[in-house]
Amino acid sequence: MHFLFSRTAALSLLAALALSSGCQRAAYVAKPTLQPVTAQPVGKTLADDPTAVATIAPYRQRVTEQMAAVIGTAPSALVKSNGESPLANFVADLQRTRASRELNQPIDLGVMSNGGLRAPLPAGQVTLGSVFELMPFENELVVLDAPAAVVQQLFDYGAHVKMAFSGATYTVSPDGKATDIRIGNQPFNPAQNRVYTIAISDYLAGGGDNMVFFKSIKPRGTGVLLRNAIADQIRELTKQGKPVEAKVEGRVKSTS
Amino acid sequence: MGLLGLSVPAAAADTKANRLVILHTNDMHSRIEPFPDNAAQYAGMGGMAHRATLIKQVREQEPHVLLLDSGDIWQGTPYFNFFMGELEYKLMSEMKYDASTLGNHDFDNGLEGLQKQLPNATFPFLISNYDFTGTVLAGRFQPYKVFEKAGHRIGVFGLGIELAGLVADKNFGATKYLDPIATAKEMVAKLRGPEKCDLVICLSHLGYKYQGSKVDDFKLAAGAPGIDLILGGHTHTFLDKPDVVAGPNGHQTLINQVGWSGINLGRLDYTFERGTRRPSVAMASVVPVQAA
Repeated sequence: MHFLFSRTAALSLLAALALSSGCQRAAYVAKPTLQPVTAQPVGKTLADDPTAVATIAPYRQRVTEQMAAVIGTAPSALVKSNGESPLANFVADLQRTRASRELNQPIDLGVMSNGGLRAPLPAGQVTLGSVFELMPFENELVVLDAPAAVVQQLFDYGAHVKMAFSGATYTVSPDGKATDIRIGNQPFNPAQNRVYTIAISDYLAGGGDNMVFFKSIKPRGTGVLLRNAIADQIRELTKQGKPVEAKVEGRVKSTS
Repeated sequence: MGLLGLSVPAAAADTKANRLVILHTNDMHSRIEPFPDNAAQYAGMGGMAHRATLIKQVREQEPHVLLLDSGDIWQGTPYFNFFMGELEYKLMSEMKYDASTLGNHDFDNGLEGLQKQLPNATFPFLISNYDFTGTVLAGRFQPYKVFEKAGHRIGVFGLGIELAGLVADKNFGATKYLDPIATAKEMVAKLRGPEKCDLVICLSHLGYKYQGSKVDDFKLAAGAPGIDLILGGHTHTFLDKPDVVAGPNGHQTLINQVGWSGINLGRLDYTFERGTRRPSVAMASVVPVQAA
């Protein structure tokens, strides 16, 4: 088509196009007009959208059947909080006992971060669904054989957030250091030539939550998913006629 | 026609035709159904069928809607453990999400797990600072997308958080994390420049604010000026209204985040005012106007 135009005409047409497009583009200033609250709450005041309900229905049925099963009873909710928490104590303790049973050897420490626990266990009936919400991740329970120097790093890490460990107590000094560490009620000496066994999730063992000091240690698997270990422990308590409970019991002390 | 737009700028007529409504979520964490009535927190809140209704209501009232998400769609309820993200993507597609970015939990079933669910999403995942070269996801994501809405070009790009230390190594494999600030600068230059966008939005899964040097949405706003709106995630931060970060030449960046689990749907309305035609990115101005 271009041969129908003179060269000059073609150029001026191109120039006109460029100008007109330039006028429409980048000539605007976007101005937000904000509501007093930009976050619109989504809740039961809104009707269910029928399309979404129909899409969810078959999935919902399969989930609810399996999740509604009651596996235990908790007199009060097991919650997580900063520092030592009932929920993290409960999970770290069962990690240690379960790993010990699976590998048929004593386990010195159980480690679970508050961040790895995604929801509290509610008061009253504890369902399999509650356990899924608490531990949605497909994490495996593993055991690390850690030299004393790495264990010291673990406690230094813990002291920053006053994190508790199963099988140990310690004190956080005013300058944020872990002191008076006792493992299995024995004083801990970072200089001693000894390996400690740690029951932990494969996620944390792989350096998750910045526990990078574990990355060099090859974990021993138990073949047990952490979620299943939690559900099994609750079922076991129920079988023994016991409630699901855990306390903050001074595993971490603070001098400040 | 004032070729250079130097005549008195027309007042921004806040009419439906000229108004762009941005709706957004972050960290929905597989919260398909509302929190149970006996939940310790947020009882009865959230729920994707409720959210779908709210979105439909807005769409009935407004012709120009952008529906965006800032990542961590996955992980948090048995729906994800059982169906591996299929239902989340299907519902978001039904709600006609325009785009999302990738959060760290969207890697929880590895690169293959993500690849497997992508056909269930009719919306693109925008991510500019992960390099998937040499992985099964190579070529599956766009760094940005330009949407034509209300007669304007809206540039949207995505930024993800550093995966190492947060996601198991095996789950992100050879994915390379690129510096978010440097990447964002490139995105702003491209979207403000050749792509001629009137509004630049970043879907960020970096997190709201950290002590220390870790990159967050505030450091992003300051380090890569020219972004109009950062829709954040990762830190599950509840904000009633956006934060404003002042940039050079009067430009302002808004930062918004709406908690998690679909408890809230964020809404920001934009109008477009014909301004002086300026070649430079930083000359555009954004002034938040609080409605009475």
